[in-house]
Amino acid sequence: MRVRGDILRTYQSIHTWIGIIAGLVLFIGFYAGSLTMFKHEITQWATPASHQLSQIPIEKFDKLIQQASSKFAKAEQDFTVNFNEHLSPLTWFERSGGRELALNNVMRHATLSEDDQLITQVNPTNELGELIDMLHRTAGIPGKAGHEDIGVLILGIASVLYFLALVSGVVILLPTLVKSFFALRPNKGSNRLWLDSHNLVGIISLPFHLIIAWTVIVFAFHDFFYGGLSLIYGDEPMFEIRSKPSIEYTVEQLPSISTYLNKIDDIAEGYKIESMAFSNLSSANPSVGITIINQHEMMRVSSGDFIYMNPYTLNVNYSSIPLSDEDVYTPIVAGIFSLHFGGYAGDFGRWVYFILGLLGAFIFYSGNLLWLEKRRKKQSQQSQSSRIMASLTIGVCLGSMMAVVVTLLVSKWLYLFGSEVNTYYLWCYYVCFFSALLYSFLRGAAKSAIDLQLILFVTCLLIPLTSVVALLFPSIGLLRPLIFSSFVVEGIALLFSAVFFYCFLKTRKRAYQGERNSI
Amino acid sequence: MVRLSVNEKIQPHWWSKTLAGLLLGLMLAYGIVGIFAWYGYGGIDAPVKVQFNMWMICPIWILVLSFSYLFKTGFNAVVYLLSVNAVVYCAFFILRWLS
Repeated sequence: MRVRGDILRTYQSIHTWIGIIAGLVLFIGFYAGSLTMFKHEITQWATPASHQLSQIPIEKFDKLIQQASSKFAKAEQDFTVNFNEHLSPLTWFERSGGRELALNNVMRHATLSEDDQLITQVNPTNELGELIDMLHRTAGIPGKAGHEDIGVLILGIASVLYFLALVSGVVILLPTLVKSFFALRPNKGSNRLWLDSHNLVGIISLPFHLIIAWTVIVFAFHDFFYGGLSLIYGDEPMFEIRSKPSIEYTVEQLPSISTYLNKIDDIAEGYKIESMAFSNLSSANPSVGITIINQHEMMRVSSGDFIYMNPYTLNVNYSSIPLSDEDVYTPIVAGIFSLHFGGYAGDFGRWVYFILGLLGAFIFYSGNLLWLEKRRKKQSQQSQSSRIMASLTIGVCLGSMMAVVVTLLVSKWLYLFGSEVNTYYLWCYYVCFFSALLYSFLRGAAKSAIDLQLILFVTCLLIPLTSVVALLFPSIGLLRPLIFSSFVVEGIALLFSAVFFYCFLKTRKRAYQGERNSI
Repeated sequence: MVRLSVNEKIQPHWWSKTLAGLLLGLMLAYGIVGIFAWYGYGGIDAPVKVQFNMWMICPIWILVLSFSYLFKTGFNAVVYLLSVNAVVYCAFFILRWLS
């Protein structure tokens, strides 16, 4: 297809400059987002198995709730019922709680013994999965403006730029798209290969990227969009106003668990209840949030859909799945969420999203490298600005990945020194990240890239090794690995140690034998 | 391809085009979504429609923004986008006034 030269040049400049401005934060957002596809597995992997109590049969739940709520004041108000076989049947927060991320949450787990005696234990929660999610949403940029995270807003702006980069990237490619779409030219020099793979990955995963750019902007600025929309709605209320409830309830009036199971069977056929979070039970404003799963439907997030109802009257207040046929907008909106969170196609979908996220990170990384190489060719000497940019690219991208991997690695060892590990996670991440960044500035991008990839290789390899050590020498008191979720985490770690080792060899070869002055 | 003379070519005008795309594009998005909100399927009070409307603002806005750079000059961008805005908002207010 023919495109006028001046249009091409215009969009070429947009593409380049935006990539340079927004690429680095987006890189972190993407690879951390890949990891959040397995957020619950990671948390489960990091939590000592001894923290969870044994499950009980469904008909015993009523007895458990009744005993727990009569014995513990906190459990009169809020508790969560889990049906997952790896989790404790009943949990509630002894300290803090709520939806915000808190590092010092303390959770009480409860179950029944064989002869129906209440057993409980108290543990600080493990927030490793949540912290990675936080990194994904904010790129590790701390601070709040009002009730919004600054990092989220920055990623929102970066996503507007990212959308522009996508459009301009496609425009630039149009003239040569048909000819060189699948062309990977390994024999035309490594820059050509990098460019080809940058383009190929970009075009193949374009729909995914358009969705991600759109949803991230909305996640960051929905308050702003609603604000403007209220002008259009005028006097028409945007959201249903609920009448103030006046009936006070107490936990003794709570219907049996089977009531909820039947209700969900009634309104959402084919869905299975994963957990139920009861809150404000002894008040006029009680609620239960039920997480339901159906692998054959498009789910809002990869771990399920939600229905919120009054636990006493069973009136549904909110549902992320359509409950009547006339409701056309619920499935559309839920679909958009699902496309961001990879909530469809079950575990296969999660793996596809995991890979797409990593490929996205690759696009930003390779884009930055391509720009640097192009600049280098134009100038005889590396300029100050390209040196800074090179160190930033290497330091931020590899540094951030290294920091996460090191945090994963030390996670199991940290439990030897006490169980309040969440604060250590944060320290570990930021110390590793900034030392890597500093190192790449002091040592230069090319050399530090070799070393950082070597560290990545070693730490990735050490993660499964830790579990092997734990298995062979249980006396050290390291956690014994759980069964399935640990395979996922450790399998990925092993795979990546191989990838990083390969890149390490490649980078080293390039640095010592390639052109001088190259990055 | 015919060589274009200097004033036929697209001028960069980064700031004016970007601002036009950002502000007028956003206004245009609100206008189009506004008409849909009141007169699109389900009317103004269909359940969950407000969420759908909010979602639709963003893609219209960023699409207008990304193609604003195709205008020849920044001035052109402002004039064209303003006129489209005027048409959309006229339609919106006439429809509101009629019903």
